[in-house]
Amino acid sequence: MTATDTPIDALGALMRAAQRGDAAAYTELLRSITPRIRRVVLRERAFAGLPEVDDLVQDVLLSVHVARATYDAERPFEPWLLAIVRNRLADGARRYARTGAREINWDHESDVTFGASETNEETAEIGDGRALRAAVRALPEGQREAIELLKLEELSLKEAAAVSGTSVGALKVATHRALRALRRTLATKR
Amino acid sequence: MMETDRLIEQLAANLEPVEPLRSPGRRAAAFMLGATLYVALLTLALARPGAADRGVDPAVLVPQLVALAASLLAVRAAFASVVPGHDRSTLVWAAIGVVAWVGALAVGAFGFGASAEHAAVLGARHEIWCVALILAGGAPLVAALAALLRRGAPLRPITTATLAAVAVGSLANVAACFWTPHADGISAFFWHGGAILVLVLACAAGAPFVLTWRVARPLATGLARTSNGAV
Repeated sequence: MTATDTPIDALGALMRAAQRGDAAAYTELLRSITPRIRRVVLRERAFAGLPEVDDLVQDVLLSVHVARATYDAERPFEPWLLAIVRNRLADGARRYARTGAREINWDHESDVTFGASETNEETAEIGDGRALRAAVRALPEGQREAIELLKLEELSLKEAAAVSGTSVGALKVATHRALRALRRTLATKR
Repeated sequence: MMETDRLIEQLAANLEPVEPLRSPGRRAAAFMLGATLYVALLTLALARPGAADRGVDPAVLVPQLVALAASLLAVRAAFASVVPGHDRSTLVWAAIGVVAWVGALAVGAFGFGASAEHAAVLGARHEIWCVALILAGGAPLVAALAALLRRGAPLRPITTATLAAVAVGSLANVAACFWTPHADGISAFFWHGGAILVLVLACAAGAPFVLTWRVARPLATGLARTSNGAV
């Protein structure tokens, strides 16, 4: 039997083992449910591209990991999993709608990669590492956390949102405000 | 974004044993036991002269018993709402409990030909202390309930928070109804009801920030390092 056609009841047994800390059972469980999740995502989001489908599948896997304590061994596994999948798909759709309404495409990559002289000048001005560190420390809590997670620890927006417990939108706003505050602070120090 | 296979490896590598959550009914019963004890102590600590007489007045006592039942149903529904795939009938029972409770309060306030002037209702200054009691006295219960609910899956944060606030509000209202004699039921109905509404709105507004899909920081950092090729 391959990992993808493990019976649903067996998945419940694997989850029970995972709750006890059995990493091998957990790996088998996640490998077994990934194709099932992918099928649901493809059915519900037929318009989505491959990267978005992967994104949603991984989002569900992370949520399964976070919520594994809520699985009740006396209940069937499939409704538990499907409830998480539907919830994450709905969240993904809401996020997509919000992002689409707020953001515009930016095709001038040359400007971002230092093609424009203004960008070079701005970057050169932030040359003092100590001043930058002090300016980051002086930021309000939420803005500092956004900068630390996204710019220093280099987490993705989704990962940073999961760590900080805020939404992706709130993180974007906090980052935008933090960068503006840093620019202002560093400009006054020159 | 990292490959799904590597994500699975990372999740398995960071796996820790977890204690499965008890059933929503059991969790609700345990919470209600502690919360009812807290409310009883709060009422006894704040009780004014004449408050004991209210405890034997059926017009006051019956709505409070219904409030306790409504609170239990709402807490049970709140705990069930953070369990993926759980039976949704708990929501219906919670709604029935709330309707019964509000109905009992309304009969107590407006029944038997009771009436009050607008000015008397708005000018019932002593009710401000009841509002403070519901909000400040309910805050520790909200915090405790939020901590318990965060152990579950935040599938519908606003619904969960609303149920939790209704549960805490109806419990705190018991203390607010018993701690001091009230001039008339209509003033109490509007002031107490207003305080509970504020509690519900505040909890619903804060829910998306408190009840979130939270990944432990070491795990998320580990995932990011792997995806960046730093490990």
